[in-house]
Amino acid sequence: MRKLTLGVAALAGLCFVAPATAQDITVGFVTSLSGPASSIGLNYEKGINAAYAYQSEVDGHKINLVKLDDGSDPSAATQNARKLVQQNHVDIMIGTSSAPATNAMLTVANELKVPFVGVSPVNVKIPAEGHPWGISVPQTPSLMVKVIADRMKREGIKTTGFIGFTDSWGDLVYNGAKAAEQNGGPQVTSNERYTRTDTSVTAQALKVMATKPDALLDGGSATQAALPLLEMRKLGFKGNFYGTPALLNRDFVRIGGKAAEGVQVSAGPVIVTSQLPDSHFSKKIGTKFHEVFKKVNGSEADDGFSGYSFDGWLIFLNAAKVALKQAKPGTPEFHEALMQAIYSNKDIAGVHAVYNFTPKSYYGVDERSLVVVKLVDGKWMYQP
Amino acid sequence: MNSQIAAILTIDGIATGAIYVLIALGFVLIFVVTRIIFVPFGDITAFTALTLADLESKRLPGTVSMIVVLAAAAALMEAVALLRMGARERIPRALFYYLVLPLIPAAVVWLTAGMALAAPLRILLTVALILPLAPLLDRIVFRPIADGSVLLLLIVSVALHFALVGIGLLFFGPEGVRTQSLVDFSMEIAGTPVSGEAILIVASAAFFSFLLFLFFNFTLYGKALHATAMNRTGARLMGIRPHQSGTIAFLLGSLLAAVSGILIAPVNTIFYDSGFLIGLKAFVGAIIGGLVSFPVTAVGSIFVGILESFAAFQSSPFKEVIVFSILIPVLLWRSYSFVHSEEEDEE
Amino acid sequence: MSPRAARTMTFAAVIALLAAPLYLAPFTITLLNYIGIYSLVALGLVLLTGVAGIVSFGQASFMGIAAYATAWTSALMGYSPWLGLVLAVIVTCAVAAVLGAVTLRLQGHFLSLSTIAWGLALYFTFGNIAGLGAYNGISSIPPVSIGTLPLVGSGQIFYLIWGVLLVSMLAAHNLLGSRVGRAMRALRGGNALVESLGVNALHIRLATFVIAALLAALSGWLIAHMGRFVSPTPFDVTMSIVFLMMAMVGGAGYLLGAVVGAALITLLKNWIQDVLPLVAPSTSGQLEIVVFSALFIVFLQRARDGIVPYVAQWLPEPKRERPPEAEPLSRRAQPEKGRVLMTVSAATRRFGGLVAVNDVSFDVRAGEILALIGPNGAGKTTMFNLITGALRASGGRIAFADEDITDASAYTIAAAGIARTFQHVKLRPKMSLLDNVLLGAYGRTHAGFLSGALRLDRTEERRARSEAMKQLDRVGLGERPYDLAGNLPLGNQRLLEIARALAADPILLILDEPAAGLRRQEKLALADLLRNLRTEGLTILLVEHDMDFVMGLVDRIVVMDFGCKLCEGVPHVVRADPRVQEAYLGGVT
Repeated sequence: MRKLTLGVAALAGLCFVAPATAQDITVGFVTSLSGPASSIGLNYEKGINAAYAYQSEVDGHKINLVKLDDGSDPSAATQNARKLVQQNHVDIMIGTSSAPATNAMLTVANELKVPFVGVSPVNVKIPAEGHPWGISVPQTPSLMVKVIADRMKREGIKTTGFIGFTDSWGDLVYNGAKAAEQNGGPQVTSNERYTRTDTSVTAQALKVMATKPDALLDGGSATQAALPLLEMRKLGFKGNFYGTPALLNRDFVRIGGKAAEGVQVSAGPVIVTSQLPDSHFSKKIGTKFHEVFKKVNGSEADDGFSGYSFDGWLIFLNAAKVALKQAKPGTPEFHEALMQAIYSNKDIAGVHAVYNFTPKSYYGVDERSLVVVKLVDGKWMYQP
Repeated sequence: MNSQIAAILTIDGIATGAIYVLIALGFVLIFVVTRIIFVPFGDITAFTALTLADLESKRLPGTVSMIVVLAAAAALMEAVALLRMGARERIPRALFYYLVLPLIPAAVVWLTAGMALAAPLRILLTVALILPLAPLLDRIVFRPIADGSVLLLLIVSVALHFALVGIGLLFFGPEGVRTQSLVDFSMEIAGTPVSGEAILIVASAAFFSFLLFLFFNFTLYGKALHATAMNRTGARLMGIRPHQSGTIAFLLGSLLAAVSGILIAPVNTIFYDSGFLIGLKAFVGAIIGGLVSFPVTAVGSIFVGILESFAAFQSSPFKEVIVFSILIPVLLWRSYSFVHSEEEDEE
Repeated sequence: MSPRAARTMTFAAVIALLAAPLYLAPFTITLLNYIGIYSLVALGLVLLTGVAGIVSFGQASFMGIAAYATAWTSALMGYSPWLGLVLAVIVTCAVAAVLGAVTLRLQGHFLSLSTIAWGLALYFTFGNIAGLGAYNGISSIPPVSIGTLPLVGSGQIFYLIWGVLLVSMLAAHNLLGSRVGRAMRALRGGNALVESLGVNALHIRLATFVIAALLAALSGWLIAHMGRFVSPTPFDVTMSIVFLMMAMVGGAGYLLGAVVGAALITLLKNWIQDVLPLVAPSTSGQLEIVVFSALFIVFLQRARDGIVPYVAQWLPEPKRERPPEAEPLSRRAQPEKGRVLMTVSAATRRFGGLVAVNDVSFDVRAGEILALIGPNGAGKTTMFNLITGALRASGGRIAFADEDITDASAYTIAAAGIARTFQHVKLRPKMSLLDNVLLGAYGRTHAGFLSGALRLDRTEERRARSEAMKQLDRVGLGERPYDLAGNLPLGNQRLLEIARALAADPILLILDEPAAGLRRQEKLALADLLRNLRTEGLTILLVEHDMDFVMGLVDRIVVMDFGCKLCEGVPHVVRADPRVQEAYLGGVT
């Protein structure tokens, strides 16, 4: 016990903090650069890089961006959130790449009273006392599934099989599909799961085949979402494939090859910016986004995730403009003003959606935020 | 479930199991010779697949820089160790083994980067590139603690796995790869379709297991390895250096990992971190063999593959739970049916 | 350092810690909270791995069970987090008890590997239970409230976390110094040793396992109410491995190692996160884990035992006083001299086709020294193992004090009053002489885990210490009771084993080749000691190879050769027996 002293003495030396210059706005950004969610996490990172290059000051106030990696771990995300607020004194947080970690950050935001812009699709019920300190940029998972389920219905699909990831994303898509079924959507005939590192989905595919569905809903994400499609085609499945924006990934297209051809997914309009009519809300800002993204990251923005980071940034910029008139950055009053501005700003046009947030809901998007796109010759084509 | 489905599942399971066989044999081989449970085995398998994919898409694989860094580090450590021992004259030889030899395939790959190579050549280059990986890691990470307890070695091995996963992400990126098919035919056995790939995997696993058997029973090195495994002190008295047999074991392990990586690359998408679960499942097979017996390990690994396949069909969300839970009865059976020496668990 | 100075420093450290929220930056407090929570799990691992030698890769899943139990109770069912604590502890300990009962029979690394297996299985189970939020987890967990004050902020829950940790450390510290704590520390000496002391090794292992799970449960309860969110990922195998790393870096054999390790790894991770972006801005996220693992490997290559012992060697030795005299422990009634104490009838033991002991019968009478002799390979040691329960007889019967002990376990035989020593000395080299002898008194004392941890065992402990000192004095090792047993020369180690056996107050003392490796002077001293013990009424059975040592000392001799009894009788008759001479000469050539 006596050696405890040493430990305490060592800890005492660690409490220095680097203060940001007053009047600068500090933004904290968390994403997964390692671990299972890093494939998506890197896209968020590229998106925020583009956003920062797009605009890095508001009304003469410089914006400092602090970026942290959560390694796909919710408890690391919690720790990062505390670090951002308590050590870096950020005014607002943006993050992160997985649903549980985003939920975890939201809890911290509520506790420490700092606005939080979630960029992962999550399903959160607003509890009675309200969630005044956070919003979520992406379309709700249920909306993503609903839009594609509506399309299935329109195309005369009565039953659909489901294969998805053994993780929170798989749960969200499956629950969305079940909800759509309740509202007259196609009947879900199976709930098969696989993990990203599985060597085979033959068994799951066989089981789906046995239920003889008209179509298959793919609840995977990124590259490995191609695995069930490949397997189903190999087993001779003739029906259509449907999916969510999580399939919008270059390597999904490459690996899916012929099997993935014709798959239809719901997607933010940013995916097909160039194919949109000029009158579309996302056309102008989307074009700008693609331009900056290419300049900063050296590659095309062909995913949906980077757009969420970008839209989160836009929401913040618009709110900051209002909040700066009321309080100084770095103060609790500024945090409060930012959050209120996020709720009071109306019709913010982003690359994905037109955002209208209220304290009553975590989400600020409507059905305008999703279009259906189809994979034709390895390109995502807008399907009005 | 009808018999048709059962047949498909069994074939799928055997193909998966055959991959596990190769990895599990590597586990057992390295463990009996060095007492190291080489957790990063699966990572090397994954790196092989990623390297092959890079060569296929005419990119310079990250493995090249990895090997260069590791070879330099290993050569440096070896040179310093020899200097301290006052064995200056042995340094050139050490440099040859630890620096020049591993760098030859790396140099070839670097020189041919961007060229379109024939598939067999790509495979050959990949294997040559991967081969020095495990021995170099052994030199850098495990040699300094070779006398440590099994537990210490295990924990270091786990830490090494974490490091390799990070390095994999750094060098190969977060996206998965899948390479072109090695063979393009399929056939029917009793009305059940069997892909050429499955046949190739099973045949290769059988072939390399047989090769290993020949190596152990009919070559001098193999016998030396066997002797080290049986009795470390005895082997040393017989003039077999444990370091040397360790290096050979790791080299063979590398080979097995490389082969499994080549085989798995066209049938599944492999990520930088896919190796861990593949390795763990192979490990279940190795444990069924008690980390001692090669034949039981092979049978055990096939069993794990089939179990996984059927478990996925019965209840895919609980597939991993089923596969890993099987370990507990297996371990109990082993602990009751085999007498361990009492001294083993003392300090 | 005097005990008083140590106490003062500990007190000052605790005060400094309690005041921490007043003078430390908020994020440092947050880090301290994580350190406290992780230390609890690492503390369990110190007891489990460092002390009892059981390596577990599954502690994070115990943490997860507790976190989910309390999340379910408080967030989903709406009850108080304190009820959640009760449930968390009960469920976690129950799961640990069941898993432990199944897997703790496994040996060495097989046990460790099975912990990986159920660690993984539990992780996937959490993720697949819809009622627990599946992979999305459970959010909106209420904070713990004390009275009406909810502990929301970092600076508030800090007191709860460190309070729990300090109490746990104190309890663990007390436990290790108690009767069962010594038994836990003896576990690493192997089952043969532990069971020979009358300790049910499986029972102690299981209890240690459950205690470690209990500490993980406390930690899981705290983290659920601190983060107010649970999901499966923080409780997977990776985290278990990180906990193991913490314990090993700090020093797995030391309670403080848990805190030092948890602090070092948490701070190191945080530091790497701060520094790496400056060095490698574009790839810092990916490099973090690489740098961290590499540092860890280098650390284990350089300092295997961890930081605490490394630092402790520079600190002055604490001065400790000789334990005071106390009321002696109660003694067994010794049987009447000359009565038959033990009967071995037709004992047989086969190993496959080999018959190591073949139809051997003899009696041991109270108050005598009987020697079992024979050349190498005669089956003496096997016979010895049959009597002490280390091996089961394939046939025949062994009775001790009118009880059949043929199939009894080693620890019941020890508890019945048979104490033994080992041919290859089995001591706990890192425990003091006094503690080694105290191990012998296990069967004569009764304090359990709870009274050990709460220090309710002090009276009994004083008596036991006094008894142990008496035995140390008797074998002539009473000078430096706090020296480590591993530092003694072989001859004294044998004496220490005898002192340990005597501390058990045995009826029958069985010595396995006590003279082997001793110098002539030491042999004479040993013979004197044994004679004195006989005078005090103790019965001694000696298994010996050395005829000369036996001749002047013992009352009767049983000679074995090739697994069979050759003859039996008083020393000079046996010595004259031509069969014995031939056996021994045959043994020599």
